[in-house]
Order: sequence, then C-alpha cells, then structure tokens
Amino acid sequence: MIPPVLWQRRTSPFCSWILCAYFIERILPEISTCQLGRTFTRTCGTAGKSSRLPVSWKSSALPEEKVLLRSAVGELGRLAVELLRRGAAPRACEATARKLNIGVDTVQHGVEGLTYLLTESSKLMISEIDFQDSINVLGFSDELNKLLLQLYLENRKEIRTVLSELAPKLPSYHSLEWRLDVQLASRSLRQQIKPAVTIKLHLNQNEDQTAQVLQTDPSTLLHLIQQLEQALGEMKTNHCRRIVRNMK
Amino acid sequence: ILDDPDLKDIDPTVLKHCHAAAATCILEAGKQKADIAAISTCLEDCKLDKERIEQFCTEYQKNKDALEILLGSIGRSPLHITDVSWRLEYQIKSNQLHKTYQPSYLVTLNIENSDLGSHPDVSFSCTMEQLQDLVGKLKDAAKSLERASQM
Repeated sequence: MIPPVLWQRRTSPFCSWILCAYFIERILPEISTCQLGRTFTRTCGTAGKSSRLPVSWKSSALPEEKVLLRSAVGELGRLAVELLRRGAAPRACEATARKLNIGVDTVQHGVEGLTYLLTESSKLMISEIDFQDSINVLGFSDELNKLLLQLYLENRKEIRTVLSELAPKLPSYHSLEWRLDVQLASRSLRQQIKPAVTIKLHLNQNEDQTAQVLQTDPSTLLHLIQQLEQALGEMKTNHCRRIVRNMK
Repeated sequence: ILDDPDLKDIDPTVLKHCHAAAATCILEAGKQKADIAAISTCLEDCKLDKERIEQFCTEYQKNKDALEILLGSIGRSPLHITDVSWRLEYQIKSNQLHKTYQPSYLVTLNIENSDLGSHPDVSFSCTMEQLQDLVGKLKDAAKSLERASQM
C-alpha cells in the first residue's frame, strides 16, 4: 500500500525508485524501534496518510541513537555498494541482520532499494540539488538525507564505471607488439629480400584476451599510419569540436 | 598446347612430357635465380643445339621478373593486412548509462588470406588514447624499418 502522496510526485524515472525507497523507509523505523526500544507511531503503510517518519522521533532522538541510525544506514549503504561491485552476498546480509536485530528479508529489501536508488541516480548523473530534491519528497530527516547524498556522491563514479561495462561492445584494443622480419628464401624462391612487419594485436572481448598475428609490408604500414593519423586529427577539427561543445 | 595447330602432328603424350620438362626447367631456374650462363650450361649438358638454347634463354629473360614475383608469392604467411578503415563516433547515452559523452573509434583492418581467399576482417573499438598508442607503436616500427633499410 503506497501512500498516494508518493505517486503524485516525479515522473517515471523516479517512481520506481521511490517504491524501493519506500522499503528503506520501512526498515529505518524498524531499526529505530529495535535499537532504541521506543514505540513510535508508524504511520507508513496506512492508506491515505503520508509515510513520513513521525516528527517526534526526529526531534527526540538522542545523540547515541543518531549514531546508531547513522551506522545502520552506513551498513546498508556499504552492502548496497558491495552488491553493485561484486553481486549478491547473502551471508553479509545475514550478518548485518543479526547485528541490527531485524529480519534478513527486510535487510535484503533495504539493500536492494538503496542499490536501485544509487544505480538510477548515477545512471542519470543527477546533480546534488536534484538528488536532494528527490529524496526530500520522502520526508526523511536532514541527517539521513545528508548521509544518502554523501553515499551517492562518494560512489557515483565507481557505479558509472560498472554500468559502462554493461553497454554493448565490440572487441576493444588492448595492445600491439611488432617485429621486423626479412624473408630471405622460401621453398619456391631462393635469394629473396622481402621485408615484412609482423604484428601481434591483443584485443579484449568480454573479458577474454585474444591475440592475432598479422603481417604487413612496409608500404601498407606507412599507409596505415597515415590513415590512422588522419583519424586522430578528426577529433581536433572544428566540426567535432563544435559538436562536443554543444552536446555537453 | 594440345589444341595448338602447329603441334598437331606430334604425339600428345610426347607433347605433355615436353611441356612438363620445360616447365620444370623454367621453375628450377627461377627458383635458383639462375643467370643465363648457368642455364646455357645446363641445357648444353642436355645436348640441345645452340639455336634452341638461345631461343629458350631469350624467352626466359623476358618473363624472368614475372616468374620471380609469382614464385615469391607462393608460401604461407600470417594474415596480411591490406587496408584500414576507421569510424569516429561520439557516445551520448546507452540504456544503461546516460550522459556518457565519450568519443570512440571503430577501426577495421582489411585482411587478405592468400590460402583461402577469405577476408576475415579484424574490427575493434578504441579510445583516443588507445589509438594514439597504436599509432605510436606503428610509427616506431616504421622508424626501425627506415633505419634497417639504411644500414
């Protein structure tokens, strides 16, 4: 049961992560209840009411409680980043669940929600202000917002590198080795002088390295060099510069 | 040869033998890069008269270069690069990642394989830095080629 107020906000890119963020929100009061031993009025989940954390909690949380909450969010954040880096780690989730004294499922949902939040924000490369605006909608405390923002800013570059590896790719260049050979004789012809350049081209394809052995003669080599230098020069022309400037 | 009107009178088997013998002789001469003197000596040993030897040698001289090129091209070698084509693109976004703004090059090396006549082209993508690295290495190869040719 998602409170209607959340549905009205933001266009589709954020709707789905708000759904997942909703899961995070369900955990945090749970953590607080368990850790702090207080009974809070949990208004989330009740139809028609906004799922904001009760104001009373915000103001009455003691410094130790704030530290505990920070560590809980920190734990979940760390798990979320690890999930993005290395994939699911059920044992780590179980350990965290035991430490924070809540169900494994809840921790898992929370981590997945945080992961989704981080992935979408990094993918769209939203600015700090946009990020803050988006999470302000959920009505978390300022401190929590700051924590989430910090989590986003610290990890977004890494997440973007991970995401860039998902794009469709051709084999990519890795390195090149060359060798100068001169053929002196063969079975069909003695007394030759035939220079050739033997090249070993290392390519990466889907994390496999392939090496291909190729050969050229000197004139083709010079032709290759000329063509590829032209290619490099293209980036510096006015046309390309103009496009790059306008795209940003 | 079998259809040649001048040679109609001769027995086909003999013709074939002659043809094969001549071809072998020419190929051996070409392979060893023999000069006229050597060929003449060899033919004299086979008891051919002077006129025929001269004729043979003249014909041989005419076609010697073409023969050497042909013989030189026989043989196995790694796949041979004949040409290169490139494409410069500017990535804006993918479905996994928006706002990438990265230029990238797609390079295709056209390859010729003398054995099978197939053209398995090698294509790969690279960034600008990688292409610079590639060109740098090829330039090193060219420089050492130049130095070797001057020695």
